[in-house]
Parts: sequence; structure tokens; C-alpha cells
Amino acid sequence: MNTMLATARPATSSPAALRQALLANRAQTLTQLYRRAFPAVQRLVRRQGGSAEDAQDVFQDALVVLYEQAVAGTLVLTASASTYLVGVSRHLWQHELRRRARLPHEPLPDDPGPLLADAPAAEEPASFAVLDYVQQLGDKCRAVLLAFYYFQQPLTQIAAAHGYRSVRSATVQKFKCLERLREKVRAVFTHEFAD
Amino acid sequence: MRPELDRLHLIEQQLLQTPAALPADEWRLRLLFDGELAADADLQQQLYHGLHQAGRQQLRRELRAIHARLYDAPGPRWLAALRRCWPWPQ
Repeated sequence: MNTMLATARPATSSPAALRQALLANRAQTLTQLYRRAFPAVQRLVRRQGGSAEDAQDVFQDALVVLYEQAVAGTLVLTASASTYLVGVSRHLWQHELRRRARLPHEPLPDDPGPLLADAPAAEEPASFAVLDYVQQLGDKCRAVLLAFYYFQQPLTQIAAAHGYRSVRSATVQKFKCLERLREKVRAVFTHEFAD
Repeated sequence: MRPELDRLHLIEQQLLQTPAALPADEWRLRLLFDGELAADADLQQQLYHGLHQAGRQQLRRELRAIHARLYDAPGPRWLAALRRCWPWPQ
């Protein structure tokens, strides 16, 4: 019970605590951040002529940025996580306003990465093909691979969540799933390089 | 693990720069003596890119669901009850 209370009110004031809270209970921590920071972002975007949907888009982009930086251990906070989210959202929204002024009829891009200084300039085309094959994996394989490679959950947590008896079993299963994905992709990848 | 899985593990250690990654010199030697290692590592890097994209998509779905739970709540309970008793065209 005490553990549940502790995760219900995660200390998200430091990057390490935030990382821990996101790994321990992603849904709850993201919901808490959402509840705290979104109203300010919505006011900001609406005040500058944006719609409710615009506010939702930029805020969710900011949360994606925060999540990826937090779990990668590259997040630097000089204020609260909520303040950080509002700041990133403001930056993204200003960028979007400038983009709309130049290209008024194109929608907001799905990927916030290129808008951020430390993100890779462009995604390699082959990764789109890989994305299709990830979606074709079985639910369990996909969940294990995403938990490890994107959500950065420790293997102990993955083992517990997916019913593996040990970290070793979870590790073997992870590599079997990766092998399955590789076999699906290899033919396409080899073909592209042969051309 | 099977040798094929051990190979995936070895490449992963190198690509993700885990503490168990080989020293750069040793990795270069392996690349020299194993003609398929570079191509396998390239492919595995592509898998990680794809998994990153898929993970980001899933996170976005989760965020949309959180938004819907917090802000797209249905109307008051009395309205839902009224709709059940007295349905009208949507």
C-alpha cells in the first residue's frame, strides 16, 4: 500500500526521480504531468490563435521529448517538469506559427524531432519499412521489444510484466523477437542495398 | 543462447555502447575478419530506428488516451441516464 502511495505521488522534481517515476508507472506519471501542465499550454496556444487540437498536438510533442530525454538520462531541469513542458510547448508552438506563416496549408508534422536542436536531422527511409514489420510482430514480441528499446524499461521489470521466470529468460526472448524482426526485414534491406 | 542470438547480443553491445561493448580496436579487428559483421550491424541499427519510431507511435497513442480520459469526459450522469431512457437520433 505504501508503495502504491509512493508511486501515486511521484517526486518528479529531479530528472532522476522523474525517470524512476516514468519507468515505474508510465501511465500514472504522464497523467499527472498532463493534468499539471496542459491547462497552461492550452491557454498559451489559444491566446496566440491556435485551436484546442493545436494545443493538444504541441503538448503531446513536448511530452514525447520529455519522456525520451528523461529515460535516456539526458534531461536537464532548471525548474519543475511542468515548467519544462510549458517551455518546450511554447518553443514548438512558435516554430509551428513560423512554419504556418511560410506554408499555410500543411498540417503539423507527426515527428517533433526535427524541431529540436539535439534531434537527428532526418529519419532514415529504411526505418519506415522496419516500422511496418514491427507492427506485424505478435503482440507479446512487439511489447517486449518496445518496452526495452524505446521505453527503456529494465529487464527485471519486463520479465515480471510478461511472466518470464527470470531476467535470463526475458533476455533470450527479447533476442528471439529481435531475430524474428530481423528475418522479416532482411529481405527488403538486402534488396534495397543490392539496387 | 543460440550462436545466432549471441551474435545479435554482441552487435547490440557495440551499437548501444553498453559497458560490455568490445574495445574499438577489437571491434575493428572483428569487422576485418568477419565479412558479414558490418552488414549485420547496419541492419540491426535499422531495426533499432524502426523500434524507436514504433515506440514513439505507441507513446503518442497513450498520450491521446490520457487526454481523452482527462478532457473528453462524457456529459453529466443524468444526461447519460436520460439518453438511455429516451434515445434520440445522434
